[in-house]
Parts: sequence; structure tokens; C-alpha cells
Amino acid sequence: MQLDLKTIEALAPDQASLGAAAKLTKRSNWPRLEAHEQLPLIWGECQGSGSNPYRVAFDTSDHGYKCTCPSRKFPCKHILALTWIGATAPASFARVDQTPDWVNDWLSRRRKPGQPPATGPARAEGKSIDEASRLEEAPPVEDAAAAERREAAQRKRAEDTRSAVSAALDELDQWIADQLRLGLAGFVDASSERCRRIAARLVDLKATALAGRVDELPAKLMALRGEERPDAAIRELGKLVLLAKAWRAAPDDAELKRLVSTSETRDQILANPDAVQVESDWEVLGEKIEARRDGLVSHATWLLDLKSTTPRFAVLLDFFPASAGRRSGAFAAGDRFRARLVFYPARNPLRALVAERLGDVAPGTWPTFAPDAAGDPLAACAAFQDGAPWLSDCPIILPAGAIALDEKDGAWWQAASDPHGIALPVAGSVHQTLLGIDLAATAALWNGARLELLASQSSIGRLDLS
Amino acid sequence: MNELDQAGLARLRDGWISGGAMFEFAPVEWKEVATASSPDEQERRLLAIAAQALDVALRPAAPKTLKRRPPLPVLALPMLPERLRPLLRAALKYAADARLKTRVAALVASRGFVLHPMDWMPSVSDQESPDIYAPWVDWQAGADSQKQSRREDLTAETWDDFYPAARRSALIDLRRSAPALARTLIETKGASEPAEVRLALVELMRFGLGADDVPFLKSLSADRSGKVREMAGRLLARLGERGNQADGGSEDSTAELAAFIEEGKSGFIRRRATYAPIKPKSQAQQARRADLFASCYFGDLVVRFGRTEPDFIGAWQFGVDDGADLFLVRMVAVSGSDEAVASLADLLAAAGGRLAILGLQLTARLDSGRKRVLVRQILNDAQNLAALILVEGAEAGWLEWSDLAKGKTLPALRSAVSGDNDVTRRNAEQYLEAVGFLASPVSAEKLIGEVVAAGLPPASPSLSLLRLNAALAGNPNQMINPEKIA
Repeated sequence: MQLDLKTIEALAPDQASLGAAAKLTKRSNWPRLEAHEQLPLIWGECQGSGSNPYRVAFDTSDHGYKCTCPSRKFPCKHILALTWIGATAPASFARVDQTPDWVNDWLSRRRKPGQPPATGPARAEGKSIDEASRLEEAPPVEDAAAAERREAAQRKRAEDTRSAVSAALDELDQWIADQLRLGLAGFVDASSERCRRIAARLVDLKATALAGRVDELPAKLMALRGEERPDAAIRELGKLVLLAKAWRAAPDDAELKRLVSTSETRDQILANPDAVQVESDWEVLGEKIEARRDGLVSHATWLLDLKSTTPRFAVLLDFFPASAGRRSGAFAAGDRFRARLVFYPARNPLRALVAERLGDVAPGTWPTFAPDAAGDPLAACAAFQDGAPWLSDCPIILPAGAIALDEKDGAWWQAASDPHGIALPVAGSVHQTLLGIDLAATAALWNGARLELLASQSSIGRLDLS
Repeated sequence: MNELDQAGLARLRDGWISGGAMFEFAPVEWKEVATASSPDEQERRLLAIAAQALDVALRPAAPKTLKRRPPLPVLALPMLPERLRPLLRAALKYAADARLKTRVAALVASRGFVLHPMDWMPSVSDQESPDIYAPWVDWQAGADSQKQSRREDLTAETWDDFYPAARRSALIDLRRSAPALARTLIETKGASEPAEVRLALVELMRFGLGADDVPFLKSLSADRSGKVREMAGRLLARLGERGNQADGGSEDSTAELAAFIEEGKSGFIRRRATYAPIKPKSQAQQARRADLFASCYFGDLVVRFGRTEPDFIGAWQFGVDDGADLFLVRMVAVSGSDEAVASLADLLAAAGGRLAILGLQLTARLDSGRKRVLVRQILNDAQNLAALILVEGAEAGWLEWSDLAKGKTLPALRSAVSGDNDVTRRNAEQYLEAVGFLASPVSAEKLIGEVVAAGLPPASPSLSLLRLNAALAGNPNQMINPEKIA
């Protein structure tokens, strides 16, 4: 590794980046740090503010780099921190002779520069590693009066937010009543414009999360056939009513606050003693990546607990600006790993963070989950809805079945035990080969109208369906 | 939810679709829960109850006519191990077209595995994939896998029990082991098939083609389909039979083509004939010449000059006109006799350089040994390595490290991957893909080391097929018919 602190100074876009990088140089932020034995490459996974760790790679020969974080600073603080560790504590890197796929992927797409990297004091002007280190070592001390003022301001802000959100929900209620009065046929046709308008009001009144949900409603409706849209509108608007009522009854409830206004930070979740923690073996079932109308991309990675006797799921949820381009996730479908997950407090805990990754797990099949006694594949969804009726997507494990087509070539999942009875419509189109494969078990998301397939177990192994 | 609730929900739904207050029409129990001081609040409460009812109490009604496909047939080879699937997917992703993807499948089949159907499936019209995939081709075409599993030897009685891909595969085997039996089947069963199927059946006559096939092929001159007549004419031409006036071998056309070729003499002591192309005077003449080379039969042409096919090939002046050289080689590939094809291949391989690359046009008709000679020569010359991608019907995994190391290949490769010339580098990457199919696992492993040491990124996608090849090292080549692979 040919890294020195002067090079890092020169690479840093500004002093603030160096300061931020200094805070990330703690080994605990990096569940994985590796260096290639022969190639001039170092890489690592840095636990950032997202639920997935960021993947950071650096070529020490030409100072090329790659990070999956959405930062618009180049290089970002994660790159700087990785190189900083490389320069000051090279022993922290495990020596390996193989590069992981995501590093390979980056290497195969990057173009090497024609000239060696330019470094020198001129480019390091105004930026100092020493200063950044001092900042980290000596955080400013706040006096008692200032702390009280800050807390008072925080309380005031929270009170203001609560009043604003309450007003937002009043407006939402009125808007819903108006849609019923004007007719859902007209609402479905004009949902894009109408939802955009009320979503903007909700944003103004600090109900940001709710605004995002309302903004996505037209896309949900349009994904369905015309005759299904009124029912979907009733379902979605009814859920908004329930959510608004629940929030009014318990405005400090963490789950409801998260769904209506803003989410907790990663640090808050990790520090929350009420947050459920589960250490287990997890399999990545699949990903759901959606570009939202508010310019963000939501990236959901669904996990299955391989040690639980009943189906237990987790979702790692990240948002990043669509303008940041395509991001590679930290996990690939089918990956298995041992980890300690911390769940966001909720009635049905699903959203989680990877607190600690404890190594990979060998491939294999899923545990055998006992089917519902009454043979209802959606029994788990009913229980899920009892706990939190305002939620839409419910993860389930379907029993043995197969995919069949209706007359319009729409795909349906059909239970193997009852080929003429229970069948559930599948969202989107399916891989034609899937029509000839018997599925031993299928993981999917049920949104009340459609199944979104994530993965299946079959006689020919695991099938990625997301 | 009882029937009253369902009827009430339907009323609410219909009312809300057109708009208006629906509280009065709600089921009694729902009204009790939803009663509130304001009409708007009552409607919202009803909406929440209706939403829950739709979510929990109602299930989508499954259509009565859901169609299920028959189970995907289980193939005779095991599936590629899960740990190798990422490598396979990388190789498939890098393969630019269906032909190259099929080549990946062929390499894997040669090592005793089939691909996972979610990674790759042969298409309905696929005739290039290894035989092992015939049941999947037929499944894609809608075949009932139960029927396939009952199949026995292909005979006139069992003809209808076979779906097209399986039948094609069985007929090829039969043409090799008992050509007369296969011909009789094609003759008797093909007559009642549509033109497209007849053409595909007659095309199979090229396997094990022999003099005994002449009467049947001649009988096809009366076939209703022009394409079938043309195919039969080409096959007859390969057997040394002269073309007829109606198809391809028109005397006038052959004479016109002969006029584009100049006969000369060379040598001082033993004067011998030479044949060289005459430079066309216009674009139109050039196009006409190309058409004539494509439509006339080689046997007819050489007869015009009073020569045998090998003699004519020996006397052709290669290098005078590159276009004419290519047309001639293609002509021999289509309608030349086996002897002509072999002598031309030997001549081109011996000449090496650009001419050896022309020889790739013949590979579909060359035996395994000649193909190898040609590939080795091209490797040795290292003039246009990317052209190896054109080798048809080659076997997978035979190229040894000595074949690669002794010629100019490795220096050329090293220079291409370490240089800045994008075109050369791209050609080198295509070459790596081609060799990824041809190389033995040991050669693949060594070649990866060589090019990475020369500066190619270790993760370059162009190495993906080589990596897959090397990773399949534990599985020696299986006997897969090379004619059916590429």
C-alpha cells in the first residue's frame, strides 16, 4: 500500500470532508476492510447512515475510487476514511487473494487514467489532516446554558412540528372527504394531479413521509387493471384515514411518527433500548427498487430469518436521490450471512439496520414453515393487518404452488394442494420458464391486490424472482 | 364477512365511484361504528372500514381457466453447481448474441452440465444448442413433457411421438448410424409436412451425405417449394451431380460467372493453368458477380473450365481480388464436394495469414482434425485473432497451452492488452472470448494469468468465459457431438 497522509489531503475536496472522514476512521465503522495481496487495491464496507453498509474501493496505484454512498463530493468521506486507515493502520486490512464481485464489477467498468495521479502541496492547500484529526480528538465543549437553550429550541421545534402535522392531517382528512364526494371514478382519472397537490401541502406542513406515500398512490393505481382501481383507491385512502386517526391518538408513537413525518436516525435506532435486536442467519430474498415522484429512489432489500421457526422478515430500506445514478446494493439476492439486526420499533417490526455483520453462511434451503391450518396462504397478512392496518406491503411465505396464466396472460400463483381454489394474482410479467417449475415455497409481498414475487425454492434450487 | 356486509360494501363502492354521501346505504353494524358528528367524518370512518374489509375479508377471485404449463423436462445431465452460476451469468452477460450464448451452453455441456433454466433457455427455433437441450426446445414450443418421456427409437410408427427438436436430434443420430433408414423416414414422413418443415428435414441430409442419397435428392427437383429444390440442388452439387436448368445451376448463369474469371498459364518449364478473377468494371458488375457466386454451383463452374474441383482450387490465384477469394470460398462451402472442401481448407491453412482466416468460412463442413489445424494456424499467425469467434461447429475445450504458447499469439495479446489502442484491445477481448470456448481448463487458467500480467484488469468481463472454463476444470470433456454445439 503506497498511501500517505499528504496524498489524502490532496485528494480531499475540502476541509469539511477531511473532518467527516476523521470520524469514520474508527475500526468499528468498518465491518470489512480488505487489501489484495498482489494488486494495488483496498476495499471495505463502511456502516454509513443508510441501512446497508456503503461499499468503498480504492486503487492505490492511480487513486481511482468507488463508493456506493449518495454523496456528491468526490471523493466522499468514506473514500478518504478508507485511505486514511490504509495510510495509518495498514494492519487493519485483511490480506486476501481474491476481489469480491462488486470490486470486480467496478474494475471492469472503470477506465484507467493515462497519467499517474497528480499529488502535491498545491492541491492540498487549505486542507489539513492535522486539523481534521484535532477536530476529532477535541470536540467543542458546550456550556450548561447553551445546552439548555438547545434543548428548549428542540422542544419548541418538536411542538411546532406536531402542530403542523396535525394541521396536515386535518387537510388530508378534508381532501379524502372531497374525493369521496366528487367520486372515485374522477379521482382515479385525475389522481396524479390531485395527489401531487395534497402531497405538496403535506410537505409544507411537515408530514413528509405521508406526503411521499400519497404521491406514490397514482402509480399504485395505474399498475392495476381499470376495473380494480376503485377498490384499490378505497383501500389506500381508507388506510390513510386509519393512519391519521392512529397518529392523533398517539402522536409520539415512533412507528406512526415515522410513517407520517420523519424517521429516526441510524444512531437513534441503535441507541434505542426498545428496539428489537435479532442475531441470526439471514438470506437476501430480493430487492425492490422504486423511483419515486419526489426524486428519490427507494431501495428495499428483503431478508428472511433462516433460524426462525415461523417466517420472520426484515427489510433494509435506503433512499437516495435519483440524480445520483444507479447504485449497487450491499447485498445480492441469495446472499446468506450471519448478522445482528436492530429493528425500528413497530407493531410488526420489519424495517431494520445491520448493526453487526458476523460472516457468511453456506448456501442451503429455507426452513420448513408449517402452513396455515385453514390452508389460507394470506393468513399471515390478516394477522399483520390486525396489528397495523395502515400498512400495505406484507411479506409472506407461500406454500407449495405453481405459476399459471389467465386468459389475458396475467400470471397467478396457485396453491399446489388446491389447483382449482386459492390463487393470487402476480404483479408484472413473469419469466416464462417459471411456468414449468413447481415451487416448493415462495417468498413474496402481498399488497392487497397483487403478489410481488421475491424468491422461490424449487426442485432446481433457489429461484431469484425479484 | 357475511352476504349483507358484502352487499353493503358493493353499494358503498358503487356510490363512492360516482360520488356522494353513502352513510345511509352502509350495513347496520358499520353505521353503528361509523356514527360521528359530521357527515364527512362518517364517510371517512366508513371508508376505513371498507378498506379493511377489502384487505382482509375479500380474496381475489381466481379465474376458472387458469392455464398451467407442463413441468419443464428434466435433462439428462445435472445442473451446473450453484457456486459456478455467478461465473456463468457473467459469461452469458458478456456474450453479445444468441449464438455466443449458445456457445457458453455448449462449453458447459461439454463438461457434463446443463444450465439453470432461469439463466438460459434455448429459443423455440433454436437448432444450434447442444442436443441435450432438445426437450427444452420442445417445451418452449408447447410440447407435453409426458409425451417426450415415453419416446423410443425414431421410426415411422413413433414419428408423431417426437416433438420437432427431439425428432431433429434423433434424425441426425440416425443419419450418422443408418443413413438409408433416416432418408426413408425423411422421404416418407416429410412429404406430408409443410414446406418449412420439409426444408428443415432435407437440410439434415447433409449429415452422412452419400451417393445413395442422389435418387431421393433428384426427386426433390419436383418439390413444390423453391427453397427445398434449392437445398436439394446444393446437396446434389456436393455429391458431384450437375445442377439443372431450373435451380441454381443454370448454364447461362454459370457461363456468365465464368466470364468473370480469367484463365491463364504460369511456369516456364511445366506450364500449368491458372484462374484469376477479372476486376469488375462497375459497382453493378461487382454486385452481379457476387450474386452469381452465391447462386451457381461450384461443380458446374469447374466443368466449364474442364477441371476437377481440387484442380481448379489449386489453380485459383488467391490474393488478386480479396472479394472474389471470399466468394469462391463461400461457394465451395455451399456446393463444393467434400474433397474440394478438404483440399481448399488444406491449401488455406498451409498458406496461413489472411487466407487461413478465409478458411473459417469452411468450418461448418470440416472434420474435427482440419478445424483444429486451421485454428492452430490462425493462432500461430496472430493476424486477426478476433476472427476465431467465427469458427462453426468446433469442439469445446481442446486447445492446449502449447498451441497458444508456441506462435505469435501471446506476444500479440500482451501487446494488445497493454497498449492504448482501443480497437486492438477490443479485438483481443473478442479473441479471449473465442478461446474461452476452445481452450482446455489448464490453458484457460494460464491464459488468464498471462493477460492479467500484461495489464488486462483481472475483473475484465472478457475473461468471464475463460474463468468459467477454468472453474469447470474438475469435469473433463464429455462426448458431445461438435456438429451440434456451435
